[in-house]
Amino acid sequence: MAEPPVEPIKYVDALVRLPYHYVAGDCRARYLRALKDKKILGARCSQTGKVFVPPLVNSPESLAPTDELVEIADRGVVTTFCIVNIPVIGRALELPYVVASIALDGADISIHALVQECKPDEVRMGMRVEAVWKPDGEREGSHEDILHFRPTGEPDMPRDAFLNRL
Amino acid sequence: MSRLRNVAVVAFAQAPVVARDEHRMATEMLYPQVRRALADCGVERSAIDYQVAGSADYIDGRPFGFVGALEVMGSWPPTQDLHLEMDAAFAAHYAWIRMQAGDCDTALVCGHGKVSEGEPRRILNLELDPYYQAPIGLDPLATAALQASAFMARTGTTDRRLAEIAARNRAAGARNPDVQVRSSASADELARTPWAVEPLRTGYVPPLGESAVALVLAAEGKAERMCDRPAWIHGTDQRIELQTLGARDLSRSPSARLAAERALAMAGATSAADVDLVELSAATPVEELILCEALGIDADRSSPALNPSGGPLVGHPLMMTGLIRLGEAFRQLAGRAGDHAVAGARRAIAHATNGHCLQQNLFWVLGTERRWT
Repeated sequence: MAEPPVEPIKYVDALVRLPYHYVAGDCRARYLRALKDKKILGARCSQTGKVFVPPLVNSPESLAPTDELVEIADRGVVTTFCIVNIPVIGRALELPYVVASIALDGADISIHALVQECKPDEVRMGMRVEAVWKPDGEREGSHEDILHFRPTGEPDMPRDAFLNRL
Repeated sequence: MSRLRNVAVVAFAQAPVVARDEHRMATEMLYPQVRRALADCGVERSAIDYQVAGSADYIDGRPFGFVGALEVMGSWPPTQDLHLEMDAAFAAHYAWIRMQAGDCDTALVCGHGKVSEGEPRRILNLELDPYYQAPIGLDPLATAALQASAFMARTGTTDRRLAEIAARNRAAGARNPDVQVRSSASADELARTPWAVEPLRTGYVPPLGESAVALVLAAEGKAERMCDRPAWIHGTDQRIELQTLGARDLSRSPSARLAAERALAMAGATSAADVDLVELSAATPVEELILCEALGIDADRSSPALNPSGGPLVGHPLMMTGLIRLGEAFRQLAGRAGDHAVAGARRAIAHATNGHCLQQNLFWVLGTERRWT
């Protein structure tokens, strides 16, 4: 009978590679295409009038269709934010940096984006910010067409103006 | 059998199975089906007590991918929700159990997922153990072929027989607008198709497809108000076998046999042959024969009607194929099966499966009358 192996096999490596090819969907495709033209689209709920951005095919709240696409502003208000002090895999940003929820003017929910061109400790809820776009000719119709948001210098908005748009 | 709660299927909506929907994400495919199912039973979302879905995150390609469906299932105000990494028919089974416990009267059951966005054969290989089975490249086609060989060797079933079964399903599917393969094909034609994995020909295995399904269950007292012809659940049971393929006799399905026996006993039925139609989640003609054997019915007889919808051979959206069988049973009993209706259907059996080679099996016995009075 053979001797047992001197070195037992302790681990089995399983390399799993699963590529995916996601359909954007007609609704999202229009949203992404509009970014190329420096436009941000939202979808209006047919029942409540609330505007969701990025657009959805239905309101998760009312379950009614949101079949009207509307253009909304590329500026808005910081509704909440955090200051990131630890590196995140896949993101080479200088630490610390600010990730904020931003309610764009005309939208009823917030998007998430970086706030730059100011010190992290200057960022506050209610601060007005605007999108900084990639230059013409470089935008590809992706979320990265908006590089970040930066302060506009406008007066802060009162909390009541955005508390229900977090 | 002690008295259980009478629960019925009261609505079913399905997106036609396609190879690839280029225009909608999985949740966007599901939303219209949720609306249709609710409209079908004449209620708003607020009338639904409980929601549960079946899908696979590996098909979505993201951990917790299923939570995307919450946005189209009507999850506001916050609802009780459960997700099963299983065919959505098992989600319906879970909802049925909750109803037996008495803590909900109505449930929305959904299935979703787009196989075209990933590589399902590679994904389903990962269902097997990572030490012995997955590394040699087994996928569902290969394991189905292993099972087919074992069954054909034991029973003497011929290639011609498989072609005839596939042809019957193709002919049925040509009458069902929701299936992916809508052309009939003769046994001669199918017997000439090339091997997929020998002894299974390409004509004996379904193309993978995608869909979205929504089904509504309701307990006695509410079901009658939500549907003029509810499909009452008379019995149900599910059983699972070992994962190691070598430890199973692949030519038989003891889990299907046991689950069918228990479901029929719960239904107070003596024989599966007494129902009017059977919808089986049989992805190959061999699986159909193995399931018929487990049920004790003759696949050659015209009654009960076998897969009048065309079955999975003409439309096989992963994670939904089983729930569609339950939905098809409802359509038949509720008089909504259109061109593929089985005339005068009063009792039906629906089946769902998970895993390779019919590893796990779920049966439903349904009827047009209440089971318990």
